[in-house]
Formats: sequence, structure tokens, C-alpha cells
Amino acid sequence: MEESEKSSQSTISSFQVFSIHVCRGLALAKPENCSYLKAISRGLLGLPVGALLNALGALALGAPVGLQYFERTISWTLLMSSLTFVPTACVYGSCWTDWHRIFACTKPKGPLDFMLCLPAHGAVIGAWFGAWPMPLDWERPWQDWPICVSYGAVGGYVAGMVGSLALALMRTGGKQLKAE
Amino acid sequence: MWGWWRFGKWTVLIMFLHIIAILIFTKGFLLTRTELPHSSHCSDLSQSPCHSSSSSSSCWTKPAVDRLIIVILDALRFDFVAPSSVFEQKQPWMDRLKVLQRMALGNPSSAKIFKAIADPPTTSLQRLKGLTTGALPTFIDVGNSFGAPAIVEDNFVNQLIHNGKRVVMMGDDTWTQLFPNHFNKSYPYPSFNVKDLDTVDNGCIEHLLPSLHQQDWDVLIAHFLGVDHAGHIYGVDSTPMIEKLEQYNAVLVKVIEELQNQSGPGKFHENSLLLVMGDHGQTLNGDHGGGSPEELDFAVTVSSLLGVPFPFGSIGRVNPELYALAVGTWNLDDNKTWNNQDETKLEEWLQNYVNVLCTNSWQGPLHSLGGSITVRENFIDCIFPLKKYKYNSLSAMRCLVKRYIDVYSASSVIGFSSEDLFHISDLYAKAEENWSNLSLFESESSNTSLPVLKRQIVAYFEFLSYIAELARSKWTEFNLKMMGTGIGIMLLSLCCHILAIKKLNKSYGVSFLLSRDPGISFGLMLASFTVLMRSLSLLSNSYILKEGKVANFLLATTGIVTLRFSFMKNKMLLEAATFLLLTFIFRIAIDVGLYKQAATSQFMSASSSWKPGISISESLWTYMAEAVPIPALIILGYYLYKAVSSYCWGIAKCVTMGTILSYFLIVLHWISESNILDLAHFLKGYGKNYIPRTIYAIGLGQLLLLAFVPLLRKEEMSNYKGNLFVKMISILSACSSTVIILQGKQGALVALGTLLAGYCMMRLQGIEQHNVHGGAGISVLDPLPIVQWSLLALSVFCNWPLVDSSMGDLFHSSNVTLTVVGVSMCAFDGLRYGAAFIGFDEFVLAPQAILLTIDTFGFSHILSVFGLPLFVAFSSLFNQTEDRSLFSIKLFWIFMVYGLVTATTATATIVCVAIQRRHLMVWGLFAPKFVFDVVGLILTDILIFVASIYYF
Repeated sequence: MEESEKSSQSTISSFQVFSIHVCRGLALAKPENCSYLKAISRGLLGLPVGALLNALGALALGAPVGLQYFERTISWTLLMSSLTFVPTACVYGSCWTDWHRIFACTKPKGPLDFMLCLPAHGAVIGAWFGAWPMPLDWERPWQDWPICVSYGAVGGYVAGMVGSLALALMRTGGKQLKAE
Repeated sequence: MWGWWRFGKWTVLIMFLHIIAILIFTKGFLLTRTELPHSSHCSDLSQSPCHSSSSSSSCWTKPAVDRLIIVILDALRFDFVAPSSVFEQKQPWMDRLKVLQRMALGNPSSAKIFKAIADPPTTSLQRLKGLTTGALPTFIDVGNSFGAPAIVEDNFVNQLIHNGKRVVMMGDDTWTQLFPNHFNKSYPYPSFNVKDLDTVDNGCIEHLLPSLHQQDWDVLIAHFLGVDHAGHIYGVDSTPMIEKLEQYNAVLVKVIEELQNQSGPGKFHENSLLLVMGDHGQTLNGDHGGGSPEELDFAVTVSSLLGVPFPFGSIGRVNPELYALAVGTWNLDDNKTWNNQDETKLEEWLQNYVNVLCTNSWQGPLHSLGGSITVRENFIDCIFPLKKYKYNSLSAMRCLVKRYIDVYSASSVIGFSSEDLFHISDLYAKAEENWSNLSLFESESSNTSLPVLKRQIVAYFEFLSYIAELARSKWTEFNLKMMGTGIGIMLLSLCCHILAIKKLNKSYGVSFLLSRDPGISFGLMLASFTVLMRSLSLLSNSYILKEGKVANFLLATTGIVTLRFSFMKNKMLLEAATFLLLTFIFRIAIDVGLYKQAATSQFMSASSSWKPGISISESLWTYMAEAVPIPALIILGYYLYKAVSSYCWGIAKCVTMGTILSYFLIVLHWISESNILDLAHFLKGYGKNYIPRTIYAIGLGQLLLLAFVPLLRKEEMSNYKGNLFVKMISILSACSSTVIILQGKQGALVALGTLLAGYCMMRLQGIEQHNVHGGAGISVLDPLPIVQWSLLALSVFCNWPLVDSSMGDLFHSSNVTLTVVGVSMCAFDGLRYGAAFIGFDEFVLAPQAILLTIDTFGFSHILSVFGLPLFVAFSSLFNQTEDRSLFSIKLFWIFMVYGLVTATTATATIVCVAIQRRHLMVWGLFAPKFVFDVVGLILTDILIFVASIYYF
């Protein structure tokens, strides 16, 4: 009973997160390139794709397999997808070169790319570190499968946000200085 | 040969450093004590000076109580029992066992609370052993992992049986393991499941009260486990713990009422003793205690003596003291309350006490040290009325002591130094001298003897506490200096390793005409990070339990990073994806293996919580398991054949053909073993033993051929690169058949998977540097694939669904089974004894030890070390430009890096064992892991040595 409640809560929260990220993606998306409606649909399409990729990664890394984990895994992958994939999907759609530039080469150009790249990487790395407390035998409720990983992901995401913000500020500051 | 020595000296040096470090560390860490099989008899006492020769009906001492009820509350902390006013702060778990306090306060002459401190190891099994034998608990029970850990030493239960006492036991089934045939009646309950707080306790309660009404026992032992389990799961400060304590309180109230009702003259509890005690304490978060003051273990003894007049008023005092003495712990503070006693009673009591002490110190040298003190006398019979004593001569006594010490030092592994022995006999002589003086005094008047008696007691105390101190320093204290030295040498060897690799790097760079230093590449960073994480993960028992998962996690991480690089470079996507898929498959295999293991395991019934949701129908699964490995093996054989036909010649061809023949034999063997095909029925009689033996013989023949033929016949060295590849193929094929048949059906699958993964790794190596060096990526030294290789070897090794009887024993010894059941343990969790019997029916030591070694280390060490040149050999086939010296440097470099990875892991294990030496699971988990890793390290060193000679 408690577990189902928990997972439903996390589902809700992942949807909230998703909506927030769609909004953010919208805010980032340049209106001259595409309409808001298009961005939303891109985000919606990107969500399951990203969830699938995240799920594959998590399963390869050792996420528990089994029917009783199914729902939780789905919730978590949706959360991860909305942290990593959705913003980029909103902004760049299915443009392979941009994806390649941001995620494979990690060569972001400009503040917009930083805002997409750093938080996504932060979320993944945070989730990776968040997985470490799971096998410990402390018998704490938060050691269950997606919980601490989600905390790690959110923490890494926030760190990435702060970092990208700082970088963007520095860059703009630098530019302004140059301009002066 | 000189060429080999140029780099080979490093392997030799490192190997020696490792061996020295491990020997020194092990000497400091693994303390052992010899168990003496001697047991004491009634007749022994006639040689003692302490006792009257006009003996009474009793054996050593006259019994004071007729019946004894021992209630053991596992992990009872002192502050559970003692009044909270004793402590500075009142904690919620205090004052819960009120009935004991009430007894102790309301009736001080018949009940008392004592405090004792237990030595490590503080697991239940060792403590029970300590309690019953009166000896210091042994650290490594060699016999333990091979069968039931029954006590072979003389012990209290044994003595009870010998003297016709009837013992009834209920509760923790550790007792029945220790004493398989001793109890008249026993109601054991499994102590496996830590999460189960109530089964053992309810069973105890159910049987305890009715038993009190029955007449058919003399000693009753009830062992409650709930507090320990509650502590392990919830911690001391938790509601379940307090509920448990309150439940115990209620039970104890009932028991005491029952005893008091029956304690009138003529009733059968007239002369009974109730002993409530803990076997060890616990820390605040529920672990068993250890060294630091807060964690001190309290064995609490409340002796309530019911309905019997004076002489027994002192029992409550003597008893725990002797008991504490027997455990090897002595707390003088407890005895300061003597002065309150009534004078005459005191004197009588003191004389009793002296007598008991005398008996005790008499048997001390042999029994307390040699491990066969008989607590029985102390427990029950030692309290006897005042008597006149007659004494033997002092000289006879000295002879005896000397004899005991001689017996002991002759049979002991760790002898005492001669000064210590001398000091002991000196102290004893002094004590004895007092004693003989005492006898003179006593004949004159009883009034003067009081101070003398006291002095006498002090002398005995001195003697016994000295012995206990000495024994503890020898047996229960780790030799930190030696452990530190061992770790230091280990670190030194790591430095040597790194130095050697640097040197190789340099000479490689020179010969490759690489002017600039390649610097720190991403691959190097990732590789060191992975190794670091893995080493750090060894510091916690949880990660050791899930080592396979950790290895897989790291492997998959490297796989994902590699995939990212291949995306970046847009090449070899297929290989990267395949590699990731393989790690995924390995990981699933671990889970499924666990599932199968759990389903077949007896433990599963206890913990049904851990069940993966995969519900494959059982018959289909077994059919798959039977059938799939055969095509896998055929594919393996096919690839081997292809490799042979295209590249190999001469000897190598001969060897690989032999292997292919072996594979066919293995298939035949499996078919004959399985029940799917009936046509194989007629084969069973012959095939069962002869096929495996033929395979072993072929393997041995191949190895001999490979070892000696190059010596006899100088082969043409013109094509070195092809030669290396051929060598690798032939040695791998020679080893593989034996390993596969030993590993069973999964062996073929794993071999195939490993081969594929190895191929992917080889293709992917140095992928992130390709564009830097412009196509010469093959010659770049990249440690990442080697780390991946070692992780792969580990996770493959952990793949085995290891079901073994020894696992149960292993965890029994630590009582806390945790949920070990559902967990993959890659450590030493069970040699697969079954493997040793493939091809043999009865036990023959030498061949089966070899088979067991091959089975245990087959994939993880032997094949992985011999397979290492994979990373050079394949590229050698494609790239014809490099010359021979470059190859040998690269080969050495790969071996060195692999050795470094193994050594780092082993060092982490050693450090971890040193840190966790007081941990609850140290003998159940860390020590086996330590042994496994250390043996693996030395084996790796030797194999690297052999392989580097072979390949050079």
C-alpha cells in the first residue's frame, strides 16, 4: 500500500517535473525557429524516447528487473527523461547534429547549449552517484530502488543548472567587458 | 632470455613483495589457537592440593544447587538490566527488565546483577563456545567451513552429560550445532532470518513454562534471540526493541513466580538456580560490540537463588565471578561489595571461595589456557560447605603446573615465551605458599584466618588475571604492527608497479619515436577512477556481498562511456552496443542465477520477500539450461576450427584439434548426464567418469606439449606476431576444455560471452584517442580495456549460482545471516565442492584440490591472464608494421597493468580487513574475502610470470 502510494507520488512528481521542463524548454526555444506548439509536441515525443534510453542504461547498470519494480522504473525513467531529454528535444527537435554536438562531443555553444548540456549531464552523473548507497545494508526506506537515484539525479541537475547559470553569467559578463 | 629479464625482473620483484607483505599481514591477522582434546575427569582432582582427599559424593566440588535454569537473552546490554540510576542519562531502553532489578534490589541475598565484558569476536557462536568451554574463543575454526561446528573441546555441556545430568535446550539452533548429540530434549528454532523477531522467542516461551513443571531435567537452557535481531534491524533505540524487552520482562516474571511457587521445602524447585545472562552486548545501532568503551559487551548475570538458606546466599556472587573468569574476563570492581557482608558469613564464604579459586587456579594452566576448563564444576558443584582441608605437598604441585605448561607449549602453535611461563609458575608458587601457610593458621583459630584468606584470594586473583591477560594478548589481540608492516609493503609494491609501468611507458614511447609525453588521457582517468571506486567499495561489507553487481555496474559504466565515444567518433557503434548488451546479459544472468539459487535454496522458505518477478515456468527453464550450452560449445569449437585452419600450423594445430575433440567429449558428457535423451542411458556407466578423465588427460597433454616442444625445437621466429596469436589460441584452448567441464553448463555460455566481450573491447580500445594519433590507435597504450577485462573476469566469476553447504556454515558462524541469501557473493562464499567430484567418485586429495583450484580460479584468473595478449595479438594480425621489441614491451605493459589492477584491489581488501577487524562479520565475510583475494593475487602474479615467459 505504502509502496503504491510512493510510486504514484513519484509519478505525479515526474509529471510535474515534465511540465516544468516543457515550460523551460519553451522558454529556451527561440520563437523565431519554431512555434510553442511545435516545441510542446517535440517534448512530448522526446519524453518516451528519452525514457526508453534511460531505462536501457539503467537496466544495463543493474536496475532491478521484475514486475514489482516495473511501475517505479517507469516513473523514474520519465523523471530522468524530463530532466535530460525533454528540454533538448523541445529546443532542437530531432536535429542529429545538435544532439551529437551536445551529448556526444559535449561542445556546447552559447548559453542556450550550456543550459541544456550541463543540467542533463549533471542529472546523469548525479543519478550514477545516487546509485551507490543502494546496496548498503542500512535498511532505510529511501534506499529502495529509484528513490536515492532520483535524489542524486535531481541534485546533479540542480548543480548543473547552477553551473550553467554561472557559466552563462561569466560569459555574458566577459562579453560585456569586451564590448566596453 | 636477457630480453625477458629486462622487464621480467619487475614481475619477479613484485611477486616477492606481494608474498612477503601477505605473509606478514596474515601472521598478524589470522590468530589461531590450538584446541586441546583433553578433557577432565573426576579422578583428576585427586592430584590437586586444594581438595580434601576424604572426598564427598560429589565429583570435584559439592553441588549447591540441584537444578539450573539458564536463560540467555542474546545481545543483552548491561544497561538493559541495570537500574537507570547507574547511568548518567536515562535512555528509553533502560528500565525495561524491571523484574530483574526488583529481584536484585528486594532480595540482595539471593539475587544480584553482574556485569561482564566480552572479548572479540563477539558473535553468538564464538561466545557460546567461550561460555561453555571456558576458554577464549577461537578465531579460525578450520573445521568450521567443512561441516558442523561441533565443539570438540571439553566443555560444560559435555561434562554435564558425562556426569548424568539431563539437559534441555530451547531457542537458538546454534546450540544444537555446537552440541549435536548432547541434549535430552531440544526445541531448536532457526536463527537464520534476522528479520524474524518472534519465531525463536515464541517457541522458547511456549516450551519454557511447561518445562518448569516437569521433572525430567537438571539443566535447562533457553536462548532468546529477539533482542539481537531487533538490534540488528532497528537499532537499540526503537520500539520493537522496547517491545521485545517488555515481552522478556513478562516472561521472566512468570518464570520467577513459577519458581517461587515451587520453591518450598520438598517441592522440586527447592534448590534451583536461575541464571539470566546475555552472551554479548550490542552497540547503539545494533551491531555486536567491539573494542571501544561504548561498545563493550556486557554479559549480564542475574543469579536468583530461591528459597534456600544461608550458604547459598553467596552463590550469586561466586557463580558469575567464576563464570566471568571462565570467559576470560575479570572484573575486580564487582567484588568490592564484600565488606557489607556479615563477618562470620563472610569468613565462611571466603573459605569457600578460596577453595573454589584454588581448584580453579589448579586447573587454570591446563584448562583455561589449553581450552578445556570445565565450567561445569564452577557452575554447579563449586559451592560447597566449609570443610577442613588436607593439603598435598607443595612440591608435587609445582610439578603439576610445570607439566601442564609443558603439555601446552608442546602442543600449541603459538607458544608462550619462556619468561611468561616462568612468571606464571612463579605466581603460582607464591599463591601456593600462602595456601600452605593458611592451612597452618587454620588449625589454630578461625578468627585469624580472615586476613590470610583475603591475602590468599588476592594471590589467586593475581595468578588468574595474569594468565587471562597473557592468554588474551596471545589469542584475541591482533598484531597491529605486523598488519601495518604488511600493508606498508603492499603499498610499496604498488609503487613498484607504477614505477615499472612508467618505465615501460617510457621505453615504449622511445621505441615508437613518440617525442611528446602522451599525458593523462581520458581513458587513463576513467580506468583509474573505476579501479578506485572498486577499491573503495571493498571497504563496506554490503559492497563485498554485492561485489558482482558492483563490478557489473562499473563495467556497464565504462561500456556506456565507450558507447558515447563511439557516437562521438561515429564508428564501431556495433561493437560498443554489443559490449553494452553483453554486460546487460551478464547482469541478467546474475539475477536469474540468484533466482534459481534462491528457489533451490533452503533459505528461501525463510525469506520469501526476495523474489524477482520473472516467472519462467520451471520445466522450460531447465530444458533451456540443458540445451543452450551445447550449441554455444559447438560455436566455440567452430571458431576455434576456423582460427586453426587459417593461421595455425604444427604443434598449435595439434593442440587445438585436441581441444575440439575435448569439446565433443564435453557435449557427450552433458548429454549422458541429462535426462532429456534416453538414448544416452547406456553411456552412463562408462561416460560418467571416463569422459572427464579423458578431458583432463588431453588438457594436461596439451599443456605439456606447449611447455616443452618450443624448448626442443627452435621454431622459426620470422613471423612473431602471428606466432603470438597462435600461442594465445593454443594455450587458451588447452585450458578452456578443463575449465568448461568443471564449471558445468554455464561454462560454455560464459566462455562464448567472454570471448565476444573481449573482442569488442579489443576493437574499442583507445577509441577516444583515434584522431589524436591519426589512425595509429592500435599502438596507443590504453589501460581502459584491461580494467574492463578484469571487471569482466570478476563479474563473470560472480555469475555462478553458488549454492553450497559451506555457505550456510559460513554464515552460521556469524549468526547474523542478514539477507545474504538473496545476494550475490563473489568472495569465498563456497568452493564448489561438487566440481571436485567431476570425474571422480571418491575423495582423493591431490587431484581434487587441483580441480577445485582450477574451478575456483578458472575463468577469473587463469583464462583471463592467458587471454590478456588478446589486446595485442589481434592487432598484430591486422597491423604488420610494428617490430618485435615493441610487441614485447606492450605485452609486458598489459600484464603489468593487469597486475596493478589486481594488486590494488587486493590491497584495498587488506586495508579493509585491517579496518574492519572488529566488525561483526569479520570471520564470516571479510576474512574469507581476504583469503580469496590474497590467494588470487599470488596466483595472478605467478600466472603473469608464467605467461610472460610463455609469450615472450
